Amino acid sequence: MTPRPAPVSENDLHAYVDGLLPEGRAAEIEGWLALHPDRAAEVVNWQRQNEALAALFPPVAPELIPERLKPRRLALRPRGVTVNWPQLATAAVVLLAIGTGSGWALREFDRPPESDSLIALAVTAHALYVKENRHAVEVAASDRDHLVSWLSNRVERPITPPDLATEGFNLVGGRLLPGDYDDSDSGPTAQLMYENAANDRVTVYITAALPNEGNAYQFSTRESLDAFYWSNDRITCTVVGSLPDAEMKAVAKKIYTQLTWRPDGSASAKS
Amino acid sequence: MDFLDEIEASVPALRRYARALTRNADRADDLVQDCLERAIRKRGLFRPTGPVQGWLFRILVNLWRNSLRSERRRGEHVGYDTLLVEPSIPAPQHGRLALGEMNRALDRLPADQRETLLLVVLEGVSYEEAATILGIPIGTVMSRLSRARAALRALTGAGDEPKLRSVK
Repeated sequence: MTPRPAPVSENDLHAYVDGLLPEGRAAEIEGWLALHPDRAAEVVNWQRQNEALAALFPPVAPELIPERLKPRRLALRPRGVTVNWPQLATAAVVLLAIGTGSGWALREFDRPPESDSLIALAVTAHALYVKENRHAVEVAASDRDHLVSWLSNRVERPITPPDLATEGFNLVGGRLLPGDYDDSDSGPTAQLMYENAANDRVTVYITAALPNEGNAYQFSTRESLDAFYWSNDRITCTVVGSLPDAEMKAVAKKIYTQLTWRPDGSASAKS
Repeated sequence: MDFLDEIEASVPALRRYARALTRNADRADDLVQDCLERAIRKRGLFRPTGPVQGWLFRILVNLWRNSLRSERRRGEHVGYDTLLVEPSIPAPQHGRLALGEMNRALDRLPADQRETLLLVVLEGVSYEEAATILGIPIGTVMSRLSRARAALRALTGAGDEPKLRSVK
């Protein structure tokens, strides 16, 4: 006696039509269909649908690719130039830039394209949550130990909220946010929120470092919010706020110093 | 084969799928170009464990969904009928579905069913790969496929040939 074939499911019928079954199983399905004419009629109709779709949208010949869709050409188009200076020198330049009157002169300097989408996400998250009162953060600063261990675990980087007391800002708390929508490989991100006595709020958006993106710095203004972005081989960080220029610079500098910059030039987050 | 060669090898398949999604050859190439630019920008994020082609399709699908969303927000929906040049279609041979009829039926499918059906049928990917590309569970791939096929069958007037029953 031949072994009884496995029961035929709806999924089997689709897989049969799409040619995704091994030969033996396909033959079993055919045997089953011979005994079930109603389903057989349906399956034939599905096959006709597949044929019609293939006829409506025929394969595109590889030799007909227009110039604008040639990857080598696209890869040559100029984007930001990655400057790979030693950490200390770069850090010094940035601190100088933040500290001097020339201020945001580094705008557009060394601009890795990946940072654009991170800055956009940081600005969007800032705009969304600074308006909230009761739900501004998921974990409040009063539960600081939990906040630190939770965010550090999820982002997989040590995240210690910088101390901004000398700038008049206190930690409100933090939350976890999803990464880049169209890149499922990008990990979760942490948002920390600070507030001063005047109820001005600043957020700090932290992600694990982007692979193959070295040190980079970028200032931009979007939707009347200032964003100060930097990255190293451990993290990326975007400070977002709408403070007066001098105050924004002081806060960004403070965060940069505590979160990233080490006097010995190493690039680790404070742990 | 280096990364850019692998991308290039996927371009014909991407264009075919994009044409089916957009129903407009220029718009399809715009979509593919966006997809390639994004892929080249993001190559640092790519983990070389997975196939490049699946990753490219994922980017393409996400860009397409975003463009549909922003079109809806702007309220500038352009009907497919106005974009589409009706293919010059020979009268259907016996036992085949009329292509024009199929084309119109496809327009009436919800976007999520259409993107799923076209991916499976035109690109011949497995259901697991389709689930990964579309970012949905495999059960959702199957239910969309099932609903799409039932809807197309109803919209194209069943199209079941009587001779079928005589098939042994």
